[in-house]
Amino acid sequence: MAEKLNFDDEIAKNKVKSFFLMLVVLMVIIAIGYVVSVLVNPAYSFIIFAFSIIFSIGYVLISYYNSDKITIWSVGAKPASSILHRKLIHAVENMSLASGLPMPKVYVMHSQEINAFASGRNPRNAVVCVTTGALDKLNKEELEGVIAHEMGHVANFDIRFATLVAVMVGMVSIIAEIFLRSLWFSGNRDREGKGKAILLVVGIILAIVAPIVVQLVQLAISRKREFGADATGVKFTRYPPGLANALRKIKREYVPSQDTKRYPKAVAPLFISDPFKKKFQNLFSTHPDIDTRIKRIEAM
Amino acid sequence: MALVLLWIVLGIVIVLALAFIVYYNRFTVLENRIDNSLSQINVQLKKRADLVPNLIESVKGYVKHEKGVMTEVTNARKAFLSASGKGDIQKTVRAGAELQAALKSIFALAENYPQLKANENFLHLQQELSAIEDKVAYSRQFYNDSILSFNNSVETFPGFMFAKLYGKKEKQMLSIPAEEKVVPKVRF
Repeated sequence: MAEKLNFDDEIAKNKVKSFFLMLVVLMVIIAIGYVVSVLVNPAYSFIIFAFSIIFSIGYVLISYYNSDKITIWSVGAKPASSILHRKLIHAVENMSLASGLPMPKVYVMHSQEINAFASGRNPRNAVVCVTTGALDKLNKEELEGVIAHEMGHVANFDIRFATLVAVMVGMVSIIAEIFLRSLWFSGNRDREGKGKAILLVVGIILAIVAPIVVQLVQLAISRKREFGADATGVKFTRYPPGLANALRKIKREYVPSQDTKRYPKAVAPLFISDPFKKKFQNLFSTHPDIDTRIKRIEAM
Repeated sequence: MALVLLWIVLGIVIVLALAFIVYYNRFTVLENRIDNSLSQINVQLKKRADLVPNLIESVKGYVKHEKGVMTEVTNARKAFLSASGKGDIQKTVRAGAELQAALKSIFALAENYPQLKANENFLHLQQELSAIEDKVAYSRQFYNDSILSFNNSVETFPGFMFAKLYGKKEKQMLSIPAEEKVVPKVRF
């Protein structure tokens, strides 16, 4: 491997980064509250400031303890059933045994493309979510390879940092996308005057801010961690061709674009392969080139 | 001068004390992991043994002239249960592997009985047992991984000095019994 990863270091780094992220988000919200309180009528400034402190603490705590639920909700996934998704449950149980990690909660999301992600604040509260496309198109070894990759993220504590970034920072873009979509659909209803104007202004601000926020999220979540999760995953299955073949299938498949629009861009870095596939690899890509990953996996 | 010396001695003592604690904890954590992974293997092996009577029940009606295979499986199950009752790891795992081999011969036998192969109950048990076989393999892999990381910390410097002090010795990995490597004979 070109860049060697020390997993203990990576785990520690992920924990420290998560802590500082929470601290920064806390400070930013309080700072915004302070600025607003100064600008607005000074008589209310203390109340606004106090409110912003309470709000920021609440925001950070709630998103820390519910980050997994928020991501699951934002992609519209459902809990896997032990009867309908037997193959999946077995694959996750196998990987939980092979890794020695507790059994994560398993979710299935409706999408034709082959994809999966893991989320949660620690291995005890981890969730693994797989698309219906992956269940249909992958065989047992490939599915286990993909799950092992996700369990690799869980083991390396990637999920904590990645999920926190996606939820805490990405919340703006998640809300923006939902807001803009609803604005789109309710466009023709005649609501008079001020209310509509304010909504429009908010919409425009969100439309400008959201992509910047998404870029921030993508920059924060290192692409290197995908290689790390691939390596850890292969350590669990002891079968590199499983994951390599799954990645090959992901590369080959054709995905209708309306299928990927359903999940917010901020959660894209969590997935095993970028749901918003671009033709060219660039600085802002959320994932390393699939061919490079396959080459590295097969060299293991 | 005396004061500097005192600080140095104190520093060394603190570092030593910390090392004693760190290594004690590391050994404990790794040993607990080994115990836990061992119990995971046992859970899967037990589950398999529990399914055997059901399997025999569903096979019995179809396969009347192959009593030998059935008693083989029943005996393997009995041997496994007595081994796991005694708590001997190596023996339990070996008996589990023997049971697996005996089960394989039942499934090989089923190839000759199309009606049995079509039996829903039988199919379900077959799937269940092959899923358990995967799990046994994976949990044994993790057991060996845990042993490896324990052995590494017991044998490398400076861990081995503390290991000696605490009386920790390297542990044996589970070897795959020879029977399991042999492809079961299919009799036609």
